[in-house]
Amino acid sequence: MRDRPWIEWDWVGDHLDDIRAATFEHLRLTLLAVAIGFVLAGVLSAVGLRWRRTLGPITWVTGVIYTIPSLALFTLLIPIFGLGSIWSAEVALVGYTLLILIRNIVAGVDGVDPAVRAAADGMGYGRWRRLLEVELPLAVPAIIAGLRIAAVTTVGLVTVTGLIGLGGYGSFIDAGLKRQFPTQIVLGGGLSVIMATVIDLTLVGIERVLTPWNRGEVARP
Amino acid sequence: MTYRHARWLLAVLVPLALLTSACGDDDDGDAATGGGGACAEVSAPDDAPAITIGAQDFGESAILAEIYRQCLVAAGFDVTIQAVGGFRDLELAAFESGDINLAPEYAASMLEALNGQAGEATPDAVETTELLNGYLADIGLVALTPSDAVDTNALVVTEATSEELGITAISDLADHTDLVLGAPADCETNAFCLPGLQSVYDIDLSAGFIALEPAAVVPALDEEEIDIALLFSTDSRIVSNNYVLLDDDEGMLAADNVLPVLTTELAGVEGLAGLLDAISESLTTDGLTELNRRFDVDVEDADDIAASHLESAGLL
Amino acid sequence: MSAWTEFVDYVTLADNWWGRRGIAVRIEDHVRISAFATVVAAAIAIPPALWLGHVRRGGAIAGAVVNIGRAVPSFAIVALALPISLRYGFGLGFWPTVVALVALGLPPIFTNAYAGVSGIDPAVVDAARGMGMRGPEVLWRVEVPNALPLLLAGLRISAVQIVATATLGAYVGFGGLGAFINEGFRQQDDGKLLTGAVLVAVLAIATEFLFGVGQRLLTPWTIRKGHS
Repeated sequence: MRDRPWIEWDWVGDHLDDIRAATFEHLRLTLLAVAIGFVLAGVLSAVGLRWRRTLGPITWVTGVIYTIPSLALFTLLIPIFGLGSIWSAEVALVGYTLLILIRNIVAGVDGVDPAVRAAADGMGYGRWRRLLEVELPLAVPAIIAGLRIAAVTTVGLVTVTGLIGLGGYGSFIDAGLKRQFPTQIVLGGGLSVIMATVIDLTLVGIERVLTPWNRGEVARP
Repeated sequence: MTYRHARWLLAVLVPLALLTSACGDDDDGDAATGGGGACAEVSAPDDAPAITIGAQDFGESAILAEIYRQCLVAAGFDVTIQAVGGFRDLELAAFESGDINLAPEYAASMLEALNGQAGEATPDAVETTELLNGYLADIGLVALTPSDAVDTNALVVTEATSEELGITAISDLADHTDLVLGAPADCETNAFCLPGLQSVYDIDLSAGFIALEPAAVVPALDEEEIDIALLFSTDSRIVSNNYVLLDDDEGMLAADNVLPVLTTELAGVEGLAGLLDAISESLTTDGLTELNRRFDVDVEDADDIAASHLESAGLL
Repeated sequence: MSAWTEFVDYVTLADNWWGRRGIAVRIEDHVRISAFATVVAAAIAIPPALWLGHVRRGGAIAGAVVNIGRAVPSFAIVALALPISLRYGFGLGFWPTVVALVALGLPPIFTNAYAGVSGIDPAVVDAARGMGMRGPEVLWRVEVPNALPLLLAGLRISAVQIVATATLGAYVGFGGLGAFINEGFRQQDDGKLLTGAVLVAVLAIATEFLFGVGQRLLTPWTIRKGHS
């Protein structure tokens, strides 16, 4: 890569179609993983909150998944789901989101002031109603914080799928690596960062909308 | 209030995910549809199966896959390209599962991969291909006529190293086994790398061997972190970076001619084998090196390079 | 022979443990680079995070920037760091990998340190000032101890991620457990592949556990139901 500029803009201009396609593919892989992960984490969190003893094993299993190097996991899934199938990637990506999401959902619900819980009980709320109408809304900041981390991490992980032949920005990075062509690497990495930023800011916006009672205070990171 | 908000959150995320999954990427079809060449003179039979070409993730494989694809499309076949990552076993698994039914391959290397690095390949292309077909038949595949284009392992040193130590052939390494060899990790078990050096030349370079991904090999050589690099013989940088390609004076390397490997079902389709043979005839080692140069150095796209090759060969 | 049988065979063969590229050396290298990267990331992230948290300024922006850093693919960083490392004489292997690992480890440490310090109940800080403590004293004697749980949690998250991702080093000539994974792929050797993957997972879990123990020792007051 000696003597090549970091970005060659005419190459970028010539390949706008490819960039658009890669963007859609990357977004699709990311949002699918986070959406499914969120639903799954929600279910597992509810189980863990209701039956406390399951929380240990749930955290342990999702934690172990998290430690498996992503490329190794993708390659192990290919024989099961087939090459070129997004599920070889998605199953792993969903798995990686679980630990963060469950941790944050549970912490968020646990972090609700006991006085508020007591008030809800006093007003005759049943367990599930209390969860849905009192605890979850108050847990929104923690949940969104978890979603932000999960989403941003997933954007980064999706680039690794470029190494197993899926699209997304990772395919640029991989191709650029092979030919020693910095533009593709920088483009792939840079666009990942931009996508992560957009998703992150969107989630911050959603948090603001969902928690009107928090406006006016010092924003927390 | 809260129900609305919670449902709103889901209502945003889920459709967004579904929407983007509906927006599939546009298909990669900007092959040159210029005037008829030899490929267009063949007409695909109506009941021809769909063809999926497996492309490994290095430039030359992508270019070859595109060459096959564009010619077959011109003949009226339904063709797509499927990336199969960087490992031959992924490609073999894809053949097995039916995900692909055609791929550009290299006679000697594929033979050695199938026979567990037994060392059966010879420098003779026809002989090697016959041996290869013996193994391929067991898995429902067949290799067609090999082309003249050869892409085999290449051991290179920098010009400076060559002059300083007087090394121009592989056998010269016998006096310099302290040199550091950098190559992809499969060099340890590849018949045309460390084991081959040991058995054919009686040279043991394993002490200083460093496993490097292909992309890291050239920078490492240029900056003298490694002394010897394993590249591929059609890598254009051998010439452009003034490396010295060590001569294989004792014949460790075998016939790694480019040839198409396809399922026996596909091989039986009328006209198909003929087209692939015509493509093979159009390929030469120097030609392939130039195509690689355009990919690596000029950073052209595989489909453009493939199109211009087919056009200049009169096939498109 | 199933992959798991090959793994067991590989791991239980004494020969595979010793030597320049044996399991023992690679575990040691892996631990070494992970520990180094974690310490460097902490050294870079903690001071500014503590300061910004203390003055309660700029946190949102800094946090967002650092959060975005999470999205930059580590292997792209390694790929870009390699030629630079080579050109300036830092060589293959260790240094390009360290750059990528430090970049990976920064966000959780920074975010948690900042959140820990800035999130302290203002009443506690007021009380401290009321007792006559000045800025730096408040920071060291009140805010940091209170922030310790979150800070340690951040270190733990980073350390575990770094251990799991140090496998990248194999692409640029660093050994470590990633070399087993890489060689396992390329040589179609499931025994090696699983050796690498399983040992990395074990190492990561051990790291998680050690930090958990550390948290208990340093911040015993956090041991109550509901705390992770």
